[in-house]
Formats: sequence, structure tokens, C-alpha cells
Amino acid sequence: MIEIQNLTKTFGPIRAVDDLTLSVPRGITIGFLGPNGAGKTTTIKILTNLIASTDGKAFLNGIDVIAHPKEALSNVGAVVETPEFYPYLTPLETLAYLGRLRGMDSKSLTMRSHEVLSEVKLDEWRKTRVGKFSKGMKQRLAIAQALLHEPEILIFDEPTSGLDPRGMVEVREIIRSLKRKHYTIFMSSHLLGEVQETCDKAALIDKGKLLVYDSIDHLKGLTKVAKIEIVTVGEASEALINTIRGIKNVRAVDRVNGRTFVVTFEGSETERADLLRSVQATGASVSGFASVGLPLEMMYMDLIKESR
Amino acid sequence: MAEEPLPRRRLPTDLVQVPIVWTYELLKYLRSRRLVAAIILVIAVLSLIYFLPPAFGHAYKGTDVNAYVTVTPVPVPIEFQGVTVHAYGLVNRTNLDPATLVLYRDGQPFPSDNGANWIWSPTISYGGFSLPAHAIVFTSNVTGYSYTASFDWSVTTEEFATMFMIFMNFLVVICATFFGADAIVSEYQYRTGYLIFPNPVKRSTLFFGKYAASLSAGMMVVVLFYAGVILLSFLTLGELDKGFGLSIALAAEYLVAAMAVAYVVSSLLKGSTGALVLTFFLFLLILPIIDNVSAFTNVKIDGSLTFAGGALRYVLIHPYPVDSSQTIPGFGSIGQFYPSPETAAIVMAAYTVVAIAISLVLFKRKQLVG
Repeated sequence: MIEIQNLTKTFGPIRAVDDLTLSVPRGITIGFLGPNGAGKTTTIKILTNLIASTDGKAFLNGIDVIAHPKEALSNVGAVVETPEFYPYLTPLETLAYLGRLRGMDSKSLTMRSHEVLSEVKLDEWRKTRVGKFSKGMKQRLAIAQALLHEPEILIFDEPTSGLDPRGMVEVREIIRSLKRKHYTIFMSSHLLGEVQETCDKAALIDKGKLLVYDSIDHLKGLTKVAKIEIVTVGEASEALINTIRGIKNVRAVDRVNGRTFVVTFEGSETERADLLRSVQATGASVSGFASVGLPLEMMYMDLIKESR
Repeated sequence: MAEEPLPRRRLPTDLVQVPIVWTYELLKYLRSRRLVAAIILVIAVLSLIYFLPPAFGHAYKGTDVNAYVTVTPVPVPIEFQGVTVHAYGLVNRTNLDPATLVLYRDGQPFPSDNGANWIWSPTISYGGFSLPAHAIVFTSNVTGYSYTASFDWSVTTEEFATMFMIFMNFLVVICATFFGADAIVSEYQYRTGYLIFPNPVKRSTLFFGKYAASLSAGMMVVVLFYAGVILLSFLTLGELDKGFGLSIALAAEYLVAAMAVAYVVSSLLKGSTGALVLTFFLFLLILPIIDNVSAFTNVKIDGSLTFAGGALRYVLIHPYPVDSSQTIPGFGSIGQFYPSPETAAIVMAAYTVVAIAISLVLFKRKQLVG
């Protein structure tokens, strides 16, 4: 479905994408993770014909997007960064423009335009010029235009970037609904919770290189690092904190407030149970003991740290 | 893959996509303030050029009564078509209605008497003897008399048209700047490229659709100006200069070439403002410098686009002006050059082809980074 082979992109001395190879099967949602400057957007830009690669190949539905971009992109919908729209067009006109370029006839254009605008909750704005739209509305319209022609592949580059919390929730809900419809979705993000919630698999890159690519469940198990929030009855003394720092497998202890502190811990579930017993053995009355943070986030931080 | 995907539709060919791009790009200009500004400019300029001369006492037509006739005897009377030319007389108008011409000798009517006393000659050549155009040709002895005349007069269609056409070259530059200078670069600067480029459409298709839209918008403005001049010419003089058709054709070609050059600038630069400013000054400052150097060095440079563009004015002058040079003591020779319409057409076509080729290559290679 999406096949990236030894893809390389250099900007002068900088290798933004470095011999990247990745294969995305049909019908799954993949999160493309990495810190800022890792090469996520550059890879997506190559996949969507926005920039040329220096070396390597990329195939969409088996068609080389570098050699035959028009054919390769015929069955792809993309939202790259936050695109700007032609401010003089309304959403309906924008969709008509892009739909006609894709060969859609008037009947299917009318039908699909209303469907996708309803899906992204822009139906009531369909005849308002886009120049008056907020960033969130533009992002939703960007998703609508990507869905218009019912492509087999959807490519989203940080689809919730720059949105307010409500906008992020709305866009995530749209992506989840698309996932239920079994689109093949290739989505870059640095929001790990978003990827953990919405994706089947994740690929992590840094400095243009692929670090890991696996199912979310498997990736979660790659790290034994966990953050555990402990709440005590009454003030946790400095002596108690220092004692806990000395417990086996504890990497760090950070006080949150008088009764609460977060322990960074590396170990199995059994060792985590031992940690609770060790804390209680210090005489502290523990009223709360819970994992905080996302497993994927722990894995991400671990791998990025190693990579650097 | 969607649960119930529509049957895969065939992508339109590049040739089918070009008019689609053209339609929506043209909509940009039709809904833009730039087109409104250009139309307002055209109306304002037409109004100013048309109404200001009469306001300052230079009417387009009227009746002169007892106008002084400057009489110049020919050295030796010439025989021509059965009449003897003794002298010619000029009035201070170039285009008068001979049917209304009444000549007076010492204040008394001096009729033509079927050519026995004088005839009206609109031509400059008279029987192998060159006379000024629009002259009263005396076929009888004029010695010892003073002559005055009454007549209806009007400016010539040539004078009327050239008065307006001085602005046309400037208008073409404005159109190239307004509708072409940022056509490409804006896709990058304003990030609309992120919307349009990931679609199954070639850059060359986008280029030609955009170029056609820019030309269409520019052509609307140019045609509006010509239509205004034609209308005013008919309303004022009742006729149109015979060079108008060729002038319109050359103006259209000049617009095509100027727009192509604007597209090169647009493909080359990274900012819209820079592209707008550079295009404007390229045509109003940089290329005219070459034209001026041509005059000062007395070397005709046919290859300048702005020089070639001047032909759209000169075709309204009859006869077509010829190159000349003038020697100024201590300065040398200064040339006064005119592009021939044929050469101008070739030069503008060459600019168009080369500029489109360059800008197309630049556009295809330009990457949406940052």
C-alpha cells in the first residue's frame, strides 16, 4: 500500500531523511513519530510530491510517486502541515476545484461535498469564503478535501497541530471514525497520546533514520520504564523521599506537592509491586500508587535518548 | 480503504485539467481588488486624457473663423493636372472639413471657382513636388494679398488615438504585475501549495492554467481600455484610426510576453512583494534604461521587450515613423529609433517562448520547503 525504500533527502550537508525503509500494509493506521526535525514532514512531503527526494523510492498503491506523481496521488488524500486555502473560494468551490481535478462528475461531487462537509461539521459554512475561517475550521476543511474522492490512502501530517483542545478532540474523533472505515492512514505526530489512541502501528524516526516500527501493543512493551505517582497520608518528608531514591530500580523521584511525588522506575510488574512494599516499609502511609504518563511516551523517550 | 469505495474514476488528462485550473484561477482575479483597481485605473485614465485637454482649451473639434492663412509661394510655378501651382497656404489645424472651408482674400470671399483659384489638398505629394499635408494649394497668383479662412476642424484619428496609447504600455506592465508577478510565488509564500500540489495534477498543468488565467484577467483590462478609446473616438470624431487593429494585436502580444517575464520573476523569487516590485521596476526602470542607452549610444537595440512594445503606439502614426539620429555638439549623435512592427512581433514572441520555458522549469524544480 505504502512502500518506502531507502529514501534519502539531503538539504546541503543535512540528511533530513536517511535511508528510510518502511512498508505500510493496507487498511491500517500508522503513527509516524519523531521529535521536531526528525524527518517526518520531509518524508511526507516526498510522498505527496511537494519536494523531490535525493535518493530512494516511494510507492503509493504500487506506483512510484517520485517518477509518476500524478498517477500515484490519484488514490491518495493528504493533509500536509496546515494548508492554506484560496481565500476567495467557499468550501463547496474548493471541493469542486479539487474534485474536478480528480475527475469527479457533478453528481458525485455534490453528494460527496455535502457528506464530507457534514463529517467535519462545516456544512453550515459551505458557502462562506474560506478567507474568514479560523485555523481549526481550515484544518477540518483540509481533512474534508482529503476524504472527498474516497481515497484508499490518507496521509496526515500532524493533523492536530496548532488546534485548540476542542479542535484536537474533534480532529482525533474524525480520524478514529476513518480508522473504523478501514482507510489506510499514515499519520505523523509528536503527540504520543494521539498516536496511542488512534493508531495500530507506529514508526519512530530520529535524525531521518527509522528507530523502530511495530504494533502499538508491542512498542508499549519495549520499555520497562514507568512513572508512578505516589500519594501519602500527610506530608512526605525529605527523608522519606531520599529513602525512596535509594530503593532498587528507582531512577528519580520528583516531588509534585507536599503529599505527592512521582517515581521514575525501571522494572517489571513484580518489581513494581516490590517498590510499593518497600515504600510502605519505610513507614509511610500510602493512599495512592498509580502509573502516570503513557507507555508509548516512555518508549519514545527511551529510544530518542539512545538515538542521541 | 473505505468500506464501500466508489468505482475508481479515470483521472482527467492534462489538457482537460488546464481549463479547470484556469477557471478557478480566473475566479481569483474576478473576485480580487486588483481587477477592480485596474478597471478603476482604466476609467480614470480614459477620463483624464479625454476631458483634460478641452478643460485647458484644447478642444477635439470646432469651427475657426477668419483664421490666418500662412501663404508660401513655390519657387517656380508647377503645372499639375491642368492647373498651375503658385503657392500653398497653411492654417493652424491639421484636419479640417474641406466642405466647410471658406477662403477670404483681403477680407473678401475668395471662392475656389472649381479649382481656378485654389484647391484643398490633404496629401503631401503634389505632382512630384512635396508640399506639407493638409494645405490650401493656390492655383492663381497670390502676390500682394492676405488670406484668412473659416472652416470646421477636428483632430485626426491618429492624434486622438496616440494621445491615449501613451498609457497603453504602462497598462500592460500594470497587468503583468497585478496578475502575473505573484501567481507562482504566492502558492509557496501563502502555503496554498500544500493544498494543491498533493493532488494528481502536474506542475506544468497548473502553470499553463494559471498563465491562461493571468492572461485572461490582463486581457480584460487591456480590451476595456481599447474599447474605451474606440468608443470615445467614434463619439468624438465619428471614425476610428486604421491602425487600431494592428495596435490591439501588438498590445495583446506585448501582454503575453510581459506576463511570461512576470512568471519568470514569480518562479524565481520567494516573496510576493519582492516579485511584484521587481516586475514593476523591471519594465518601468530596468528595461527602459537599455532603451535610453540605445538612444544615447546611437545603437538600435531591437532585443529590448519594452522597446518592441512601443510598436503598439507607433502603428497608429501614419506614415510609420522612421529611425533618425541627431548630432548634438559636444555630445555626439543621439538616435531616435522605432521598432518595426514585424521585428517587434518576433522579439515579443521570442520573449514569450523563452520566458515560459524558463519559468516552467523553475516552477517544476521549486520545492515547498519551510
